[in-house]
Amino acid sequence: MLNYLIKRLLWMIPMLIGISLISFFIMHLAPGDITASESSFNPKASEESRQKLRALYNLDKPLMTQYSLWLKRIVKLDFGNSFASHQRPVLWETKDAKGNITRGMIQDALPVTLMINLIGLLIIFALSIFLGVVSAVNQNRWPDRLITIIVFVGFAIPGFWLALLLMYWTGVSHSWLPISGLHSAGFEKMSHIAQYADLLKHLILPVSISSLGGLASISLYVRNGMLDILQQDFITTARAKGLPENKVIYGHALRNTLLPLITIIGLSIPGLIGGSVIGESIFAISGMGKLFFDAVLMRDFPVVMGILTIGSVLTLFGNLIADIGYAWADPRIRRGISN
Amino acid sequence: MKNLRQNPLALSGLLIIITVLFVAIFASWLSPYDPNYIDIQSILLPPSHSHFMGTDGLGRDVFSRMLYGSRISLLVGFVAVGIATLIGTFLGAIAGFYRGYIDSIIMRFVDIMLSIPTFFLILAVIAFLTPSIWNIMIVIGFTSWMGVTRLVRAEFLSLRNREFILAAEAMGASDFRLIYKHLLPNSLTPIIVSSVLGIASAVLTESGLSFLGLGVQAPQSSWGNILTDGKEYIQFAWWLSLFPGLAILITVLGYNLLGEGLRDLLDPKNKNLKK
Repeated sequence: MLNYLIKRLLWMIPMLIGISLISFFIMHLAPGDITASESSFNPKASEESRQKLRALYNLDKPLMTQYSLWLKRIVKLDFGNSFASHQRPVLWETKDAKGNITRGMIQDALPVTLMINLIGLLIIFALSIFLGVVSAVNQNRWPDRLITIIVFVGFAIPGFWLALLLMYWTGVSHSWLPISGLHSAGFEKMSHIAQYADLLKHLILPVSISSLGGLASISLYVRNGMLDILQQDFITTARAKGLPENKVIYGHALRNTLLPLITIIGLSIPGLIGGSVIGESIFAISGMGKLFFDAVLMRDFPVVMGILTIGSVLTLFGNLIADIGYAWADPRIRRGISN
Repeated sequence: MKNLRQNPLALSGLLIIITVLFVAIFASWLSPYDPNYIDIQSILLPPSHSHFMGTDGLGRDVFSRMLYGSRISLLVGFVAVGIATLIGTFLGAIAGFYRGYIDSIIMRFVDIMLSIPTFFLILAVIAFLTPSIWNIMIVIGFTSWMGVTRLVRAEFLSLRNREFILAAEAMGASDFRLIYKHLLPNSLTPIIVSSVLGIASAVLTESGLSFLGLGVQAPQSSWGNILTDGKEYIQFAWWLSLFPGLAILITVLGYNLLGEGLRDLLDPKNKNLKK
C-alpha cells in the first residue's frame, strides 16, 4: 500500500509539468498581449510604461525562458500578483513592510467554491443513490420510467437557463429566496444562528443548480450498476439462502454498486470546478469560477494561470484520494496492489 | 432501421434531430421576419399572432431569431464533434495498434488533458482568441477528444490479437490497411455512440459560452445569446428566456435519446441478453 502511494505521488510530478506546459503555451499562443489590454484601460499609458510592464513579467524574453522563470516561481507557490489595479497576490496573503496584510485572491475564492461543491456532492450522493435504487428495484415499472425521464431531462437542461427561471420564480416574482451573493446586507451585525440561516438561504439556488448534472449521471450509474449486480450469482445465492429482500438489496447489491462510485466522484471534480463559472456568474458569487471568468475578460495572466494550475492540482489530488479510497474500501483492489 | 422502430426512445430522438435539421435548412423560408431587423416601434412585445414568441429589447422577432439560431447549434455540434472524433480516433488507433511507448505517451497526454478543468480551458482559449463561431467549434473540438481516444484504444487492444487480424497480417496487409480496413470498421459502434452523445454536450457548451458573451457575437443569433438578452429583461419579458432554453433542452434531449438508443441497438452484448 505504501509503495503504491509513493508511486502515485511520484506520477503526479510529470503530470503537473505537462499541465503547466499546456496551460502556459495556450495563454501565449493567442494573439494580443497584456500590454495592449492594459493600455486600453489607461489611454495615457506611454510606450515606456508598456515596456516596463513587459520587462516586469518577462514578456520580452523568449517563451521558454518565460516558462522556466514562471515554473521556478510556482514551485515555491508564488503565483505573483494580479495585473489588475489592486495588484492583490494571486494565491495567498502577503505582508508588506508596514505589516498590512493583503489577502490572496484564490485564498478568498477557493473556500466558497469548495463549500458549494461539497454540499452539492453530499446532496448528489444521498439523492442519486435513492433514485438509482428505486429505479433498479422497480425496473420497467412506473417509478423507473418516471426517474429515467427525470434523468434524461436533467442531462439535457442547460443549468444557466434553469438558474434564470428559478431566479425569476423564487426570487423576483415571489421574493422567497435571495438571488445574488452569499450574504444579505447587515450580515456582520447578525447573531451566529442568523448568519448561518442567511448563508443557507443564499446557498439553496446555487447548490441545487450545481448538483443537477451530477445527480442525473450518478442516479443513472447507480441504476445500471444495481441491475448488473442483481443478476449475479451471489445475489441468487443470498436470495436462495432466505435472506430478506431488504438485506439482499442494501447489504449485498448496493455495497458492490457503490464501490466504483468513489472513482466516479474523483473523475467528476474537473467538471464541478469548471461548471462553477456559469453558476457563480449568474448568482454573483465570488468563487473560483467568477474569479476566473473576470480574469479571462481582463486578460489577467497571473490569475488565469494560477487558477488553471490550482484547479488541475486539485483534480489530481481528487483522483489520488479517490484511488486510495477505492483501495481502502475494496479488499480485492488492495490485494492486487500489494502483489 | 427496422430495429430503430422498435426503440421508441431512439426514434423520438431521431425525429427531434430531423426536425431541427429541417428548421435549420429552411430557416430563411420559415421565418416571418428578418431576424436582424430592428423595429423600435415594437420593443418587448409578448407572444401574439404577429410575433409567435414575442420580440426582444430591440424589437426583433424572437421566433425568426430562434429559427436562425438552430443553424448555429447544429453547425457547432457537428463540426466540433467531427474535429474531436477525428483527433480521438487517430490517436486512439495509433495507441491501440502500436502499443508500447507510443501508447504510454498518448495515454499520459490524455490523462493530463483530462485533469485540466475543461470549461476553464475552453474559456481561456476563447477569451484570448477573438470570440467567433469558428473559434468555438475548433476549441470545443480540441478539448473533447479524450473520451474517443480511450474508447478506440480499448477497442483496438481487444481486437488486435483476434484471428482475423492475425490472418490479415500474415497475408501481408500493411499497418494502414489493417487499421483502416479491419480494425476501424469493427470499432465503429462506440465511436458513433460517443459522437452522438458528444454533439449533445457540444450544443450545451456553445450555449453556455454564448450566454456568457464569449460565443456567437451579435447581431448573429444563437439560442445562448438570446438567453443573455433574456437575463437582462427577465422581470418584464419571460418569453425571451423561456423559448431559447426550451429549444436547447429539446435538442440536447434528442441527441441523448438517439445516442443511448443506438448504444442499446448496436451493442451485441445487449442483443444476447434479450434473447
